[in-house]
Amino acid sequence: MSDPAVSARDVTKRFGERVAVDGIDFDVEPGICFGFLGPNGAGKTTTMKMIYGLATVDAGELIVLGMDARRERRQIKSRLGVVPQETNLDGDLTVRENLLQQARYFGIEPDEAAGRAAELLEFSLLSDRGDERIHGLSGGMKRRLLISRALMGDPELVVLDEPTTGLDPQARLAVWQALDRLRRRGVTLLLTTHYMEEAERLCDRLVIMDEGRIVSEGRPADLVRSHVGREVLELKLDEGCDAERLVGSLDGRIQGHDLSERTLMLYADDAEAVLEELDHEVFPTESALVRRATLEDVFLRLTGRSLRE
Amino acid sequence: MAMLEERGYAGIGPRVPLREMVPVPRLAGAVWLRNARVFSKLWRGALLPTFLDPFLYLLALGFGLGTYVAHVNGIPYKEFIAPGLIASAAMWSSAFETTYNVYFRMNELRLYDNVLSTPVEVQDVVAGDLAWSATRATIYGIVVLAVIAVFGLVSSWWALLIPPFVVLGAICFSVIGYTFTTLIPKIDLYSYFFTLGITPMFLFSGLFFPFSRLPDWVHVVAWFMPLYHLVEITRGLATGPEFWSVVGNAAWLAVLSALLFSIPVRALRRKLVA
Repeated sequence: MSDPAVSARDVTKRFGERVAVDGIDFDVEPGICFGFLGPNGAGKTTTMKMIYGLATVDAGELIVLGMDARRERRQIKSRLGVVPQETNLDGDLTVRENLLQQARYFGIEPDEAAGRAAELLEFSLLSDRGDERIHGLSGGMKRRLLISRALMGDPELVVLDEPTTGLDPQARLAVWQALDRLRRRGVTLLLTTHYMEEAERLCDRLVIMDEGRIVSEGRPADLVRSHVGREVLELKLDEGCDAERLVGSLDGRIQGHDLSERTLMLYADDAEAVLEELDHEVFPTESALVRRATLEDVFLRLTGRSLRE
Repeated sequence: MAMLEERGYAGIGPRVPLREMVPVPRLAGAVWLRNARVFSKLWRGALLPTFLDPFLYLLALGFGLGTYVAHVNGIPYKEFIAPGLIASAAMWSSAFETTYNVYFRMNELRLYDNVLSTPVEVQDVVAGDLAWSATRATIYGIVVLAVIAVFGLVSSWWALLIPPFVVLGAICFSVIGYTFTTLIPKIDLYSYFFTLGITPMFLFSGLFFPFSRLPDWVHVVAWFMPLYHLVEITRGLATGPEFWSVVGNAAWLAVLSALLFSIPVRALRRKLVA
């Protein structure tokens, strides 16, 4: 493996008493898409901000593109593109001016900047909107423009904080396609998301964070297989059904289970077989569903089903 | 202190090494250029009040009050106040730019989160914004200078040297306004800045009356106000200067600006880079 694009050793960040990031370690291989999953408040955004210099590293070592995130902020940022969670385009400027202004922040010559802006407007399918004001754009267009803006500095590493939150399915697809094109160019992508489908689709590797720690790391498919298995049997239990005894009766045939209200999840490699073996007289159910295990199951298993605020 | 922090007061922030205090001119220039670009779209509407302001003051005070107060320090009252209006225009412009406008860019448009994720650092942002504020104030100052010159209220060719000194004064006003912006948690607090800071300075900096017949302490208090020094310079140059007075007042403004520069840099870093 070549030198990692990002390497974290025991990285810690506190805000007063609260520990936002609690001694995390990870390495991001260059050229891949690396995901950070986790509930709200897990420390994903703080980790991203430490990488792009908007949060300081309290303890540990964070190396970005071979440079120390504490001391070489300016140099790191010159090779980085950032797509923030919040849409912070410059509303006083047009679409094209937003890109040209970003080029100035990178010290790019005006001629070169004009060419790159035209190219990136095409990349984000906004060529015919270049002279419009920002507030006339749809949410999806703004998001694509944010991605283009992040590319003005011709970055080696692009950090995306929840790039598709709040978008409709078509707009999300357009963003995914843009990210696919980027990865094919060899740009390393770092993204946080709540959407498991997005993580499964985009990420080569990912970490799941909870309460400031990394609780699991791996390739999406491997994580599903090791934490959940191939399939899930989702049972909606009747009032009289004893979930504990039901699980006991299947001992050895399932890899695990989760109960949330009256819904029981049974994880197994062959969920159909489990369903057939189940004694429906003793354990009455309202409904039963066999489906493929997903990253969502892994996520909920590892970070719990209760609401996080 | 704890109570202030609860209300969002972040404080001045930790000391910053000197090398992180020195802006990169090219990147500060990028920040300046963004503001200039936006101003270039709006300047027609923005400049009109600047033309009207000195008219109104000259009308009310010069021609109204001036009818009763014919001469001050041996010059006609209109000529006494007119050059000071250049200085006060620069002050008002700087005060508005570094308070409401910066606040809007920082907290409503949230531009700085993006800017700081590029090679631009906090000191470049502050320097670029201050340079822009001073530029805008100087444009306003020049407009006022032109207006009073047309009215025949400028009696010395030295007046042509006023603009560079307006730049200096405007930087001083801007650093003060910017400091306030980086320290306040809520926009409502600007009313204190204007009512307790800018307006008293406007009224008591010797723009409208000389200190010669007032008790000494009035003069001492005025000495601490940046506007007093800029009024001394503009009036001096417009009526024929005393060299050392101009140098002394300019030095006062330069030293205060340099001393204060680190405060908004530290406070803004604390606010935006957690």
